[in-house]
Amino acid sequence: MLHPSCTQHRTGQRPLFSMANVIQLTLLLICCDGMNTETSPSPQSDPGITTQKAVSKGQNQVIIEELAILTPQKIELLCNLIDIPNNPPNITGYWTKDGQEIENSEESVNRNNEQYILKRTFSIEARDLGNYSCNFRENEAQVTFVLDVPAIKDTRNKPVVSYIGDSVVLECKLKLKHTPNTWNWYKANDTEKVLINVTANPQNYKIVINGSDTKLTVLNLTEEDSGKYICSAEFDIKPRESYVKLKVLSYTEPLKPFIAIVVEVIVLVTLILLWEKCNKPQQDNSSAGENDVCSEQTSKLAGDENNGVNNTARQRKLQP
Amino acid sequence: MSRAGETESPRRRCALHAMMEKPQKTQEEQQSSPQVAPPDGGWGWVVVGSLFVSSALVFGLIRCLGIFFVEFVQYFGESAQAVSWITSIGLAMQQLMSPIGTAASNVYGTRPVVMMGGFLSGLGFILASQATSLLHLYLTMGFISGLGWALVFTPTVASVMQYFTKRRSLAIGLGFTGVGLASFAFSPLFQYLVEVYAWRGALLVLGGLSFNMIACGALIRPLGKPKVVLKTENLTKLNKCSSLLSRIFECFELSLLSHRGFLTYAAAITFFNAGYFIPYIHLVAHSRHIGFTEYNAAFVISVTGVADIVGRIASGWFSDLGKIRMPHMLVVWTGLLGLSLMLIPVAVVYSGLIVISVVYGFCAGAMTPLAFALLPEIVGIGRVLGALGLLQLIESVGGLLGAPLSGWLKDCTGSYTVSFIAAGSFLVLGMLVTMVLPYFWSCTAPPSSSPSKRKSQDGSIEDGLLKQTLSSNSVPDNLCPLDDTSYSEKELKVF
Repeated sequence: MLHPSCTQHRTGQRPLFSMANVIQLTLLLICCDGMNTETSPSPQSDPGITTQKAVSKGQNQVIIEELAILTPQKIELLCNLIDIPNNPPNITGYWTKDGQEIENSEESVNRNNEQYILKRTFSIEARDLGNYSCNFRENEAQVTFVLDVPAIKDTRNKPVVSYIGDSVVLECKLKLKHTPNTWNWYKANDTEKVLINVTANPQNYKIVINGSDTKLTVLNLTEEDSGKYICSAEFDIKPRESYVKLKVLSYTEPLKPFIAIVVEVIVLVTLILLWEKCNKPQQDNSSAGENDVCSEQTSKLAGDENNGVNNTARQRKLQP
Repeated sequence: MSRAGETESPRRRCALHAMMEKPQKTQEEQQSSPQVAPPDGGWGWVVVGSLFVSSALVFGLIRCLGIFFVEFVQYFGESAQAVSWITSIGLAMQQLMSPIGTAASNVYGTRPVVMMGGFLSGLGFILASQATSLLHLYLTMGFISGLGWALVFTPTVASVMQYFTKRRSLAIGLGFTGVGLASFAFSPLFQYLVEVYAWRGALLVLGGLSFNMIACGALIRPLGKPKVVLKTENLTKLNKCSSLLSRIFECFELSLLSHRGFLTYAAAITFFNAGYFIPYIHLVAHSRHIGFTEYNAAFVISVTGVADIVGRIASGWFSDLGKIRMPHMLVVWTGLLGLSLMLIPVAVVYSGLIVISVVYGFCAGAMTPLAFALLPEIVGIGRVLGALGLLQLIESVGGLLGAPLSGWLKDCTGSYTVSFIAAGSFLVLGMLVTMVLPYFWSCTAPPSSSPSKRKSQDGSIEDGLLKQTLSSNSVPDNLCPLDDTSYSEKELKVF
């Protein structure tokens, strides 16, 4: 969506474009894949290339736009600069890749209904992936396009833990929903990586691929299965890799704190019961004797409701 | 204080055995008197400590089980809803099996029952660490541990109630702070255990931790013989057949089901239960739904938790001062709680939400010890074990209905507003039911169930008999020769 910005014509002396209040940069990208933003009728030329429009509004800031590139392709990057004070008839723009100015990319842009459109077509192969920026000599506004293979969600930096004889599930997921050609899993052994072949080893490994995420199940774990597992999303242009660390423990590991706690509980219970017994030897003796006496008393008293004299007589008899 | 209590107890038993026959014949459907006068301190505080640890290891543990659920979902490949059944089964078992726990305590005494409960809870988790399917987890973490929790929690609460009269609410409030503090401490602890040992090892260690409840059970010194044992000692004339039925009747205190006050109270607590847990489930989601960041939403929960702990202690202390009667205080807190729940959807500004959450947390905490401490006032301390068990059973209906209802409301309307309003209205409804309790509208505590009054009644009877015996001789001195002071003096002193 285009935001008409309110710019004022300010009085006073200043450099030509430095205090533009709102500079809106419209980016038109012509590419094969990728951005899920609004579509709009494209003014374009080349058949077989779909057009999508991504819009950013800028305010004298650097804008960064991320584009996912899956296959080698030709891309046209377009920067649209509007709302510049004084509206000069033309300005000079140039492109940089990864901070370095691209040779022969400088060109003069003419004003077109108070807009200045700078565009260039790039042919992108694996080595051409990077950060592309359009700049203007007379203005500080800048837009950067980050052209890269889709990234994988950061797996936990902490290792996945499991036990000998158990099974474990390792997962890799792309940040956005792109579908690579396939996923590959490798086990890293020191310097090299070994491809995990499920058909050769079906009782130990299982791989499930679900579009933008994949799961590797390792069965019948042993100590040697510990280490780094690399998942690789294969795109036409370049693969994207990430890793997950696995640690296999033996059952004695958690048993140690468990046994410690059980011992502590047994000690506590013994102490509590012993302490109670030791503090009550007197009571125990007396209550035993008393109980005999008291139960006698009970039955006698129950018999005589109002006969106090009889009670005392019987109690006298019970005196030791 | 505890020393005095211990030396006194055999004497008291002596005198009360003698008295048992008379009160039971003269007071018809009275609650039976306690075997021993509550010490109101001394060893009672140790029992409060035991309740603290037990409630931490039962409810604090349950609240933090969510950390395991992520692991279960990934390991077993099941949906989050299937995994959440584990907690539901555990909680349901804890409430539904409560009467069994209290019945067993009536027969065998609290101590062995709580120790067995601690053992079962630990056993459930240890077996769960070997689980190979979700069904195993339902059976072990759900049924076995749930049964263990039932055997631990309700008898421990009843014991604290038996140990205190004047400071009952404060004691219970202090005991329940274990839940709040445990949920703070257990979250990072469980996270750490899962990272180092994976969920199997973590469950094993938690099973060991739950064994600590056995030590808690050992701390609960009996105040007298278990009630059913006492009764069968005295009433020797029953024949065998009817004695089994009447024993079951006695154990489970089924006579309470015809007690109007108890049934009213159970209905009120069921309504409270239906509304009480809903915010715990939905407050985080609601905060994020409005648009606050994860960090801010978590802070709201923490603030609520702190207010909860403060509320428990403050309300317990205040109600023990005796300035306002307990049912009135309960109505105040639940009314405020219902109001604050209904106001939660109104708060859209972050500071407003924080204020309302603090009020909500404080009132929720304030209500809890009162809800328990009010029970002996209604049914009498002698029946409190059975009453607690039955109450938990009945209120579980509210808990089981409340959560799915609020989830369904949220699915229907798309936001949490209606669920919060429903929760608030449940609480207001419970508050209205509380107002129907017998003796609610009087300014003083009800005569028959007040422990102090009952003691004085017993005292008058006892005084009478003592005077008869003392008229001729100071014979009791020689019979129960432990102390130097005379028997009669000691008795009168206590009353």
